[in-house]
Amino acid sequence: MTKAMFRKGWWVPWSFLALPLAVYLVWVYIPIIESFGYAFTKRDSLLYKTVYIGFDNFARMFKDPQFFVALRNNFVWLLYFVLVPIPLGLMIAMLFNNSFKGNRIYKTLFYLPMTLSFAIIGTIWMWIYSPDAGFLNMILRSAGLSDLAKPWLGDSRFMTGALVAVGVWRQVPYIMILYLAGLQSVPVELVEAALIDGASWWQRFTRVIIPVLAPATIVSITISIIDSLRAFDIIYVMTNTKARAAEVLASYMYTSSFQYQDYGYGSAIAVIQFLITLSFILVYINRTLKAEQESGL
Amino acid sequence: MKTAIKLFAIALVTLVVLGACAPAGDKELIINSYMSDEKPKAVFQSVVDEFQKANPGIKVTVNTIAHEQFKTQLASWLTSSSAPDVVTWFAGYRMQAFAEKGLLEPIDTVFPGGDITKEFPAAFKVASSYQGKVYFMPQSWYWWAVYYNKDVFAKYNLTPPKTWDEFMKVCEVLKANGVAPIAVGAKDTWTTGGWFDLLDSAVNGGDFHAQLTGGKVAYTDPKVKKSLGIIAELSQKGYFIDNATSLSWQESVKPLAEGKAGMYLMGQFIMDTVPAETRGSIDFFPFPIYGGNDKYTVDTPTDGFMLPAKAKHKDAAKKFLAFLATKEQQQAFCAPLGRLAANINVPVPNAEAERGLAMVKGASFAAQFYDRDAPEEMAAKGLNAILDIMAKPANLDTILADLDKERIRIYTK
Amino acid sequence: MFNEKSKRRIIKAGFYVLSTALVAFWLIPLALAFFTSLKSMDEIMGSGAMWAIPKSWRFDNYAKVWASIGMGRYVLNTIIITVPSVIGTLALSSLAAFALAFYGFRLNKMILIMFIAGMLIPFQMLMIPVFRFTDSIGLMNTRLGVILFHIAFQLGFCTFFLRNFFRQIPFSLVEAPRIDGATDFRIYWQIIMPLATPSLAALAVLEFTWIWNDLLWSLVLLQSDRLKPVTLGLANMQGEFISYYNMTASGSIIAMILPLVFFLAFQRYFVSGMTVGAVKG
Repeated sequence: MTKAMFRKGWWVPWSFLALPLAVYLVWVYIPIIESFGYAFTKRDSLLYKTVYIGFDNFARMFKDPQFFVALRNNFVWLLYFVLVPIPLGLMIAMLFNNSFKGNRIYKTLFYLPMTLSFAIIGTIWMWIYSPDAGFLNMILRSAGLSDLAKPWLGDSRFMTGALVAVGVWRQVPYIMILYLAGLQSVPVELVEAALIDGASWWQRFTRVIIPVLAPATIVSITISIIDSLRAFDIIYVMTNTKARAAEVLASYMYTSSFQYQDYGYGSAIAVIQFLITLSFILVYINRTLKAEQESGL
Repeated sequence: MKTAIKLFAIALVTLVVLGACAPAGDKELIINSYMSDEKPKAVFQSVVDEFQKANPGIKVTVNTIAHEQFKTQLASWLTSSSAPDVVTWFAGYRMQAFAEKGLLEPIDTVFPGGDITKEFPAAFKVASSYQGKVYFMPQSWYWWAVYYNKDVFAKYNLTPPKTWDEFMKVCEVLKANGVAPIAVGAKDTWTTGGWFDLLDSAVNGGDFHAQLTGGKVAYTDPKVKKSLGIIAELSQKGYFIDNATSLSWQESVKPLAEGKAGMYLMGQFIMDTVPAETRGSIDFFPFPIYGGNDKYTVDTPTDGFMLPAKAKHKDAAKKFLAFLATKEQQQAFCAPLGRLAANINVPVPNAEAERGLAMVKGASFAAQFYDRDAPEEMAAKGLNAILDIMAKPANLDTILADLDKERIRIYTK
Repeated sequence: MFNEKSKRRIIKAGFYVLSTALVAFWLIPLALAFFTSLKSMDEIMGSGAMWAIPKSWRFDNYAKVWASIGMGRYVLNTIIITVPSVIGTLALSSLAAFALAFYGFRLNKMILIMFIAGMLIPFQMLMIPVFRFTDSIGLMNTRLGVILFHIAFQLGFCTFFLRNFFRQIPFSLVEAPRIDGATDFRIYWQIIMPLATPSLAALAVLEFTWIWNDLLWSLVLLQSDRLKPVTLGLANMQGEFISYYNMTASGSIIAMILPLVFFLAFQRYFVSGMTVGAVKG
């Protein structure tokens, strides 16, 4: 693929972009700006009258220990959400990407976790993690590893890890789908040319397949970064958002806004979360866009 | 391809038509309710059906939203242009906060005889009013008490304790015999609200406790330290069930039913979740009396209805509320559910309720419940503080100091 | 020759063993959900382990949950909300992705970043502004309001995703028709879209599942029971104090069926039998 792109009248791309962009601006961007505005107002502003308090909410945030707990947990999510599902999703996609009989059944079954609502996922995993009667601890005890049978959701040291595991469990099928789609675009000729050149399986994998999977990888990494920093549903369902050790930015913002009725503070947290995610993504996207241009991909 | 476009166009048009069909009723009544449990929902619907029959000109719709979601959406509904006409809610501060912001309509006139005190207890008037006007229509209420396993007590020759000293002795005996004295589902933080209310009002008196939940007393006050210090003491002695923070309130009922735990301070609805075969072994007693007092204290959360100020069909709404306030309708709702009706002319539904009512009448003080008497954030932080005390009893002082800082911030206007 | 054949057989056997073990392990939580859906509440709260095989298989839980909360209407509502949302978002995002992938205009990069940035927003924060906006344009408590929001909100991810996959299409396939005098829209519709079928199908599956499972936006924008989707209906299984776990489980499994069917229907578009990948010789 070359770098050359259409150079017709300037209005051509815009005619394609007009409707999507308009919809996006009206339904997403304007609300975003409005909600960021609340970050500078007092708690009752939404219900009562708007009172501007400048940066007070932000000042409070930087002295708030719970905020830093949430921040730290988000980074744990970020780490595991990127490091685990992507290689795993890729490997499983490759495993399933063949023409063996019954293949379809495996793919479908593996996809099932994605189709379940968070409500039931949360309930079931809470039972799996239950300290005395839970499935996980039962298995550990019968395998003679009683020391490892901890109160997973009751102990602040393990909570976030336990929750991330659930998130990963659900995320891997998702990444698998992305890679399955990506594997369709691997040109067979390239692979066969490499075969003829006597390349080993590993060389074929790293030199041909992985580069061609670049679009899927970029999307997967981007989405994993974003979803890890946006993680909410699992934490909400499994800890009732009141267990502070597992707090993340999204849940803290939700709790502040909707349970403490302090929309101002919640919005301030949202602003910070947005800025953090934005900085990660900008760095990453910029690099990949540059790489795109240079490699002529 | 062309057919795809055609289908898409048809779909889109259908949708616009469907979507544009906003309800345009003159005589309409929209009720948003959080009664998502099967039985209350069905019973409420039958009451609504009665009203519909008597008022064929009004189209009544009940929308049911699960409790947790209801609480988060209510504020938005009250401020929107499409506010419902009647909503379920609680008495106490949580309602008064909305009245203060002008989001509720006064409903003094809907009560029988035009006055709430004619058929409703005077105590309810306070919890239903703001600045002299009534904004809340009470329908039913229930009590909190210490539920215990009779079989376990019988096994160790224990009787329900009346005083705090007796209570501690019971705990000692149970613990020595490998039974968890106190079950508590601390994962649902609200469960400790009962402990907070009853312990503090037992130790320091009802008036002091009302001041505390009203934000007028510091959490670092020595009296508060005394009452919450008892929780620390219970925790240090190991009287709370193990891993309390991993158990939801429902999960904690299991040990009680199985005899692995002895007592559980909980609301009357606990009986709805005890398995059928063990229901006979569970009974309750009032919260123990502390020190030299001669009466105990209770929590009596009260549920009912409000009328949003932005409702579009206020006349129909007032009619409905008046309908609900009559003793017939109060009985129609409360009797099948075994609940106590707010209207004093309604007879008590069953023997258990009779004992509960007697218990409440014999109390010196009744609170709504911590998270209904105080602003949400204060209650949430207070309940978390109690969990902290249970987990790290030695940090009592710092926990209370931090909590008080929050109190100062939350209560300043 | 013999070596080749047995090598294939070993690989084939290995595939089946590995895949079965993997899937069985991964689906344990689902098995638990299934067991729960077949128990009575008494059994769940009683003395048995919460995850044990049901003592009595109460298949009537499914019938009960269907009838008692009116699942039929909820499923219909969910279809009404999800299908147009998926179509709408695929349509609009493919248009935008086409523009961003093939045209070198100045604001290209910035617009792409704009679409991506919109994904970063913690969506809970949008709840109140979107609620108010929808209220002000009179679409409060309508399914159309929910549909429009979903289309808009999903545009960020879908545009980003499709743009990346479009870029992979060899430019010659795009340039040639243009030289022949085809309009740009023609190229979009007749060349790019068919070529992008694998990615569109994958995207359709993902979007369908997400929107189907959405709880939050339906909660915010819909009040009436008769308009509610399945997720909200299931949430009402959560009583004020008591959670009916078995009903939630059976309801969730019923709710799972349509996304699953959708997946089955569409997965052949993004998973052909091509043997590119690990398992070849």
